[in-house]
Amino acid sequence: MTETHRFTRRRVLAGAAQTAIFAGIGAPLVLRADRARAQAGLAEGMVGGPTGFPGAERYQYGPDTPEGRAIEGIRALVGAGKAPSRIVLGLSDGSIGQITQPFPEGAPSVKDLWEQETGITLDIVGVPNGQEFTKVMQDVSTNAGGFDIYAVEWNRLGDLAETGGIVALDDYVAQYRPEWDDPERGYVNGEQGVSLLNGYRGKVYGVSLDGDFQTWNHRTDLFNDPDEQAAFSDAHGYALAPPTTWKQHDEIAAFFTRPDDGLYGSTDLRNQGWGYTNWYQRFVSMASPNQFLFADDGTALINTEAGWAATQEYIDSLSHHSPDAISWSWPEQYGNFAQGGAAMTCAFSNLPKFLDNPANEGSMVTGKVGSHLPPGREHDGGLVRRTVLWLNLSASVSSQSEHPEAAYLLLQWLGSSRIYSWMTANPGGYFDPFQLANFADPLVRETYHDYHMDIVRESVRRTVPTINYPGATAFHNALDESLVAALTGSMSAEQAMANTERQWARIARRVGEDKLLEAIQANKAAWPDVIDPIGA
Amino acid sequence: MTEIADIPPPRTETPAPPDREAARLGFRLTLPAQLLVLFIAVFPICMQIYISLTDWSPLDGIPWWRAHELWIGLTNYSDLASDFRFWGALWRTLFVMLVCVPVQFFLGLGLAILFVDEFPGRRIFYSVLLVPMMVVPAVAGYMFFMLFQSGGPVNDILSAFAGRTVSIAWLSDPDLALAAVIIADIWQWTPLMFLILLAGLVSVPKDQQLAAVLLGAGWWRRFRTIILPRMKTIIIIALAIRVIENFKIFDTLYIMTGGGPGIATETISVYIYKVTQQELIWGYVAAIALAILISLSIVSAFAIARLRRGS
Amino acid sequence: MHRSLSFETFRYAAILTFLALSLIPTIWMMSMAFKPVAEWQAAGANLTWWPENPTLDNFRFIFGESGSDLIVALERTAGRPILASLLAATFGTLIAMVAGSAAAYGLSRFGSGGNLPLALIQLRIFPPMAVMIPVMIMWAFLGLIDTWWGLALIYGIVTMPFSFWLMKTFFDDMPREIEDAALVEGCSRWRVFTRITLPIMRPALASSGLFVFILNWSDYLIALLLTTRDWVTIPVYMASLSSSMTGQLYGAKAALGLIAAVPPVIMGIAIQKQLVRGLTFGALKE
Repeated sequence: MTETHRFTRRRVLAGAAQTAIFAGIGAPLVLRADRARAQAGLAEGMVGGPTGFPGAERYQYGPDTPEGRAIEGIRALVGAGKAPSRIVLGLSDGSIGQITQPFPEGAPSVKDLWEQETGITLDIVGVPNGQEFTKVMQDVSTNAGGFDIYAVEWNRLGDLAETGGIVALDDYVAQYRPEWDDPERGYVNGEQGVSLLNGYRGKVYGVSLDGDFQTWNHRTDLFNDPDEQAAFSDAHGYALAPPTTWKQHDEIAAFFTRPDDGLYGSTDLRNQGWGYTNWYQRFVSMASPNQFLFADDGTALINTEAGWAATQEYIDSLSHHSPDAISWSWPEQYGNFAQGGAAMTCAFSNLPKFLDNPANEGSMVTGKVGSHLPPGREHDGGLVRRTVLWLNLSASVSSQSEHPEAAYLLLQWLGSSRIYSWMTANPGGYFDPFQLANFADPLVRETYHDYHMDIVRESVRRTVPTINYPGATAFHNALDESLVAALTGSMSAEQAMANTERQWARIARRVGEDKLLEAIQANKAAWPDVIDPIGA
Repeated sequence: MTEIADIPPPRTETPAPPDREAARLGFRLTLPAQLLVLFIAVFPICMQIYISLTDWSPLDGIPWWRAHELWIGLTNYSDLASDFRFWGALWRTLFVMLVCVPVQFFLGLGLAILFVDEFPGRRIFYSVLLVPMMVVPAVAGYMFFMLFQSGGPVNDILSAFAGRTVSIAWLSDPDLALAAVIIADIWQWTPLMFLILLAGLVSVPKDQQLAAVLLGAGWWRRFRTIILPRMKTIIIIALAIRVIENFKIFDTLYIMTGGGPGIATETISVYIYKVTQQELIWGYVAAIALAILISLSIVSAFAIARLRRGS
Repeated sequence: MHRSLSFETFRYAAILTFLALSLIPTIWMMSMAFKPVAEWQAAGANLTWWPENPTLDNFRFIFGESGSDLIVALERTAGRPILASLLAATFGTLIAMVAGSAAAYGLSRFGSGGNLPLALIQLRIFPPMAVMIPVMIMWAFLGLIDTWWGLALIYGIVTMPFSFWLMKTFFDDMPREIEDAALVEGCSRWRVFTRITLPIMRPALASSGLFVFILNWSDYLIALLLTTRDWVTIPVYMASLSSSMTGQLYGAKAALGLIAAVPPVIMGIAIQKQLVRGLTFGALKE
């Protein structure tokens, strides 16, 4: 094998993958407050935004806001004859509804509003859920040029940037100031949050459109049932409540596992491609404040006592899952929880919005869902509770787009706190809240439920990012395969970790170690340091 | 009446002295097919040969024609020789084939024997038996995914027979998942075997059988000495078709298990799909493709040559 | 052959057992297609074999008449994918039949293209997955990605082996006397082919065409890789029938599956007799 040989070839290439730099065009014009629109319901001083429903003014914007500047920029492009007649946005099927369905009663849809304000058609191309990256890579590698904007999992930003298939957005960011790090309305953790979600190796490549912080839910009808409470405390010597530690979690889950009644303790994902988020949570809480995946010098830290223990726990946890869990993806998981098949679940933060929802005739758990912080472990008198950021759609501008600036401006408009709060409140899709303004917004809180929103915000503070370095796909596949092998009994926990470590070393060599070290450190900077008091 | 055409013709007997008009028309008529074959063969094979000698991946950010910048010679091929996942997938593909094809064959043959003579209901049974092979394979995949859930219909039926609740997690267990995939394939393709073998059985001349009966030959003896030898070619065709199609197994399997759990049901096509779509090392995929192309060509040329000599 | 009572009993018992096993998945699909959401879940105690409250909602749903506007997946109704499947399969069949029968006639009558029989068999043996990268690149270069005509072209190529072999056996079987008589009367060979041979061959063309259509209609892999949105086919579209409200939309999938099963089943029954011939590349003749 000539791994080193490959490695050097790859390095030579790094310089070749250049992204085009587009000069900013068009001097900003002063936005004129449109009288007709003002009469249609825009609040005083506002230049745009949705109208026609109570509270609409929260989503309207003045001239000196990210949304205002985006629209202003587009109009300048239109004026200069440099705007496209349409922008093609590739988006996972299930998210489209939030852009195309009017919400709430009386409002236009996000798409209508954009088209009305700019005159540019927004053409949304649905991609089957889970195939986002595949479709994007097809477009990039065959030069098909089917999209102006790609929306892919945030983890893939590094890989995608390395292909040269997406454009660096720094010039536009400098020109149009999206204010993503606004301390009142912007991303959680300010500048650091922005670079975590949108950046790769010091440049901006994406605009986050999602908040996939994995969040825990439980069934309040089961947890509050006096009979259950009595039976549980008799058996375990402490009161039945949402677990704070993994030990409690496993005990409670075992308690509720009653296959004859079709009830299991927990219904987290255990399949390939999704399941390892639970392993992550167990692993990263193995040390205080965090158990990292890689040391600063790039050594993998998983083939260790901590890795083996987390993996063993992960394997053992199968006993309180449906026996089919290994073959389930999230649609089966959601379906299972909706049918009342489990006492607890860890899911995307949108689970309560879909399942605790009177309009959902298929759900048997409406009104019976509660949320809790992720379980953790006690270290040195503190409790380390960790969850992960996984998937999280992020939009990037294709380097095949003929109008990258207009495409960016659409993303700035869509991804800024006012429009985004309005959009995320819409129950019609998968875009989840992630900005401070979203968590505080009454409409969002109504859709996502009050009980859930505060837990999500607190979970965000305890969230570890998954791997987002170049080679992320390959790193996760390797981990994933070994974990599934461990789950199905064809590898022991130790073998699974040793195998992962071996494959990671190979992938690291392929990617190029310098690139990797930089990305690992950038990723680490975003790990949380919140320690909870024991017994909280 | 069913009979067997000579397969494949060494070259069809050319009619009389081929005049110029005939030759020209013959050329023109075959031209579109020839062009389509060239179209689908030339570029893909050349491109695959080229990139198989490189370390090219779409993640590198250079177009494929510049793949030579990542020249690695035969490294992909030597990697392939030691790629346990590739060999595992190959073995699994062969295993599925070795189970499916014989089971389909014997079930199909048994059914065909039952259908060989007329009986009330024959036509309608015959039509209904063919339904599984008409179901779109992807649809069959979704159906079997549901059927094999632990609380699903398959276990429900097993429970009824066992008299207790059976809750086997078919698709979560590596061995059972493979079994489930095999069952789905047998379900879908046994009708095909049945159809072909029945046509073969019917083709054995009745007068010869009658003569044998008059000579006092029992059923099994008649089957072995008269029917079977005459069906040899048909049996070979039936087996060959299933072997070929089974080697490519993808649709139903991929939807049922995605090759999982882990790599428990990963066949050659699924493996190539995953390397193509997830790991994106396309130079390597090209090497796999060429290795398969070359070995299949050798095997099939050899098999066809033998068949020709045989018939 | 045997006509004993015990043999007949055995025969019916065996056939009925086999039929029962073979019909389970199909019946499950049909029953699922008419179940309301509440009965979809295939879970233990709640498992129902027959719809307790039969409904046409699933069919209405996939065509866009949704009862609940909160089911998030359905941005596209099944209408377009059905159209895509129809167009791609029909025109793919057309390409395969035109090129395949012309070549078959050329070989059968004039001995041209002696390389085709083997080349086409090899084309069929080779797993399509392994050449999809160059094909994707070619198709993108030619602007054929996500078009029904691009899909039809590749379908035509991959099913041409069948149309060629089938039609070749039919042409080989056809008595030459009629053609010879026309030639003597001074018809050109082209005229003989188009005015005499093809009309006589109409039934053969029809059954071969239906057979090739079924093959094209069944494809999943190729459409998965060569279409993205406008022209995804039924099997590819089926993956998007899931929702965060209820998980997989099994009922909708079954309803669409049922619709997808209709053309091949009808056609298969219509060409029952010639089916064997098709499936064996014409090696078996009825």
